[in-house]
Amino acid sequence: MERELIVSGIGGQGIQLLAKTLALAATREGRYAMLSADYGGEMRGGPSKASVVVGDEPLRALPVLPSAWSAILAHHRFSESIVDRIRPGGPVVVNSKLVDTSVLRADLVVHPVDAGAIAVEVASAQAVGFVLLGAYNEVTHMVSNEALVAAMTELLPPYRRQHAPANARALAAGAAALAGVA
Amino acid sequence: MNLSIVDTGRVPEHGQLVADSKPSLLLGEHSLCPGCGEPVALRVLLEVLQELDIVGRSIGVVGHGCYGSFVRIMDVDVLQCLHGRAPSCATGIKRMRPDCAVFTLQGDGDMANEGLQEVLHAAARGEKITCVMLNNGVFGDTGGQLTATTVLGQRTKTSIEGRDAELHGYPVPVADLVAKLAGAAYVARAAVNTAGAVAQTKRMLRKAFRCQLEGRGFGLVEILTMCPTGWFVTAPDGPGYLSDSMEKTYPIGELVAP
Amino acid sequence: MSRELLEGSAAIAESAIAAGCRFFAGYPMSPFTGLLENMSQRLPAAGGVCINAESEIEGVNMTLGAAAAGFRAATGSCGQGIALMQEAIAEAALNETPFVVFNMARSQQDYFQCTRGGGWGDYRTITLAPADVPEAVEHTQLAFHLADKHRAPVIVYGDPLIAQTRVGVSIGRRDFGPVPAKDWALDGSTSGTGRSKQVWTWAMGKATEPGPGPDKHWRAIADKFDAIEPLEQRHEQEHCADAETLVVAFGSAGKFVAYVVDELRAEGHKVGWFRPVTLWPFPGPALEAAAASARRVLVFELNAGQMVDDVRLNVPDRRRVQRIGGVSISESGLTYGELMDAPIIRQRILEAVR
Repeated sequence: MERELIVSGIGGQGIQLLAKTLALAATREGRYAMLSADYGGEMRGGPSKASVVVGDEPLRALPVLPSAWSAILAHHRFSESIVDRIRPGGPVVVNSKLVDTSVLRADLVVHPVDAGAIAVEVASAQAVGFVLLGAYNEVTHMVSNEALVAAMTELLPPYRRQHAPANARALAAGAAALAGVA
Repeated sequence: MNLSIVDTGRVPEHGQLVADSKPSLLLGEHSLCPGCGEPVALRVLLEVLQELDIVGRSIGVVGHGCYGSFVRIMDVDVLQCLHGRAPSCATGIKRMRPDCAVFTLQGDGDMANEGLQEVLHAAARGEKITCVMLNNGVFGDTGGQLTATTVLGQRTKTSIEGRDAELHGYPVPVADLVAKLAGAAYVARAAVNTAGAVAQTKRMLRKAFRCQLEGRGFGLVEILTMCPTGWFVTAPDGPGYLSDSMEKTYPIGELVAP
Repeated sequence: MSRELLEGSAAIAESAIAAGCRFFAGYPMSPFTGLLENMSQRLPAAGGVCINAESEIEGVNMTLGAAAAGFRAATGSCGQGIALMQEAIAEAALNETPFVVFNMARSQQDYFQCTRGGGWGDYRTITLAPADVPEAVEHTQLAFHLADKHRAPVIVYGDPLIAQTRVGVSIGRRDFGPVPAKDWALDGSTSGTGRSKQVWTWAMGKATEPGPGPDKHWRAIADKFDAIEPLEQRHEQEHCADAETLVVAFGSAGKFVAYVVDELRAEGHKVGWFRPVTLWPFPGPALEAAAASARRVLVFELNAGQMVDDVRLNVPDRRRVQRIGGVSISESGLTYGELMDAPIIRQRILEAVR
């Protein structure tokens, strides 16, 4: 069974890192994973999109997903084309202060999370991606929480190691925000 | 006086063997024009390999020109390569076989025209190879056209009135350009138009190869060679023409030495 | 064997090193740059040499030198840079120097360049076209094997999707069987023995031991490629036996087409797909057989029509052949445009079937 996730936001929200964290966590658990990225040249503010596919067998998925089972929307900008590709009934974790959920299709299962506020409370504004990832994994159980934390730590370059505890708190707080929902 | 080569099996009764004749690295006669300086340069180069006792680890990279035919008569492992590209090929060979003595043999058309960027970059990188440019200021093999090193006033098939700066630009002093690069450990300009010059060429080649063997960096020996056919002079007039024209633009001597 | 999440550029670099590649030289150009950077970081640790060459021409000639000295060597670029390497690739085909060229192309517009070649002479270049990262890992090692087996340069035709997508892959050394010893390689050891070696496109040999010379040698090279042609064709296909419509595509496009055709088959359409894996030698006989029952042969490639020539050459009754692809490039000019997308491919197939 393959599961696809499309993540969309703007540069600076940690979109690429959260997608990579999930893909690495799945790989470390011995499963098959694929990660595609699509972003422009700007460091902040431009479109940032990524897709992750996880499965228990060699993946059939294409590097440009025709459709996806689930999504994380971190920002309303650049999100329209993503929403069109989410299959009906799929879980969509939404950064509630930056995405107007009323414009989303009625057949999507939307899980709003005020990721920005949670990030600032337990870590910092930069951790918003990990809040969304923690929330997503709580709803979908794609990988174990331990695998997420381990992957997050592994991906930190040496000069950012000091952020590991804060990122872990962000992952946990995101999960807590959607606890009991799935 | 008997000038025949000493047969080591027949040392005279009261004589002493002071030198052994080495088998020549030349496998045959060259087929170039009478008075051509290139075979002289080749002979000297091969003697240097023997004197330094590095024949058994020598690899040559030969470009395109009249000297290209030397591939058939030099008893050295050889890659005959694309016009201008010899320094790049030599780089690949030397990096993978650092214990080998790797040299290029190129004409001025090959090195200064087609391959100027190759030799400059190899020198800048300090590649431990020895590049040899046979400079006669003309594309001999294709019948005698202008090259980047044709000197002002020199008549060629494509500068029949003589090289004119206005029309044809100025000659390129390759050795001087290479000498400016920090990776160049030995750069010299030599000639083969007189016995003295030939002896000096041999010393320069020896120093260039020593530089390579000592791992000091890139070496270039630019050797001015006679081309009576390309210069529209007779064979006996070649050496004098070289002194009067080529040497004025390309002074002989060492530009960089350790 | 456990898997690592690696982008294609990194996976290919690791695979090349696993294959024994110990020399790499290249010039940065997107999307090849990732492979150059990965080799630059990984190859020295494996005891090899990686040079960021000052130009593509210098890079490929360095690689030719390293290969002539007997080592597994590679270079690469994208098609626009491979254009500069044509002279050297042809030279290597004619002087029989084996090395691998990674064309991490920006698009599918390099098919002619790979299969027809822009260098001089009568030569062919074995070209492998992987459809995704795992296959690129396999093809990387196969390329070194084929290069040594046939003493010729081999191209691996990648693309931005392969270069930049990260996939969990395991890289182990693949064993494709024995290759001939490199007794022709230049190492200086025969210098001065009267049996010194030459690597020379004109193969004239020595005054004491003449070689075949250009006429005989170039004929022998041509014969060699004629012999390779039936030997090294590779392809994949599915649902062809009763297909009324056959869709032909290579590389990543082949993966997209397979995905769409599998979907259409499940919906009851009599469609099949055929993916040449070697662009040269093109799997002509296999294509002819696969197309036997088809009323139409649709060629989907992201260019103005290149592989379609080979399809027409091999499918009896060329009128069945239609192009359903086209040039499609992103705004950046560096990767595929909108056409590399399953819904659009599906639409084009259905339009042709109507």
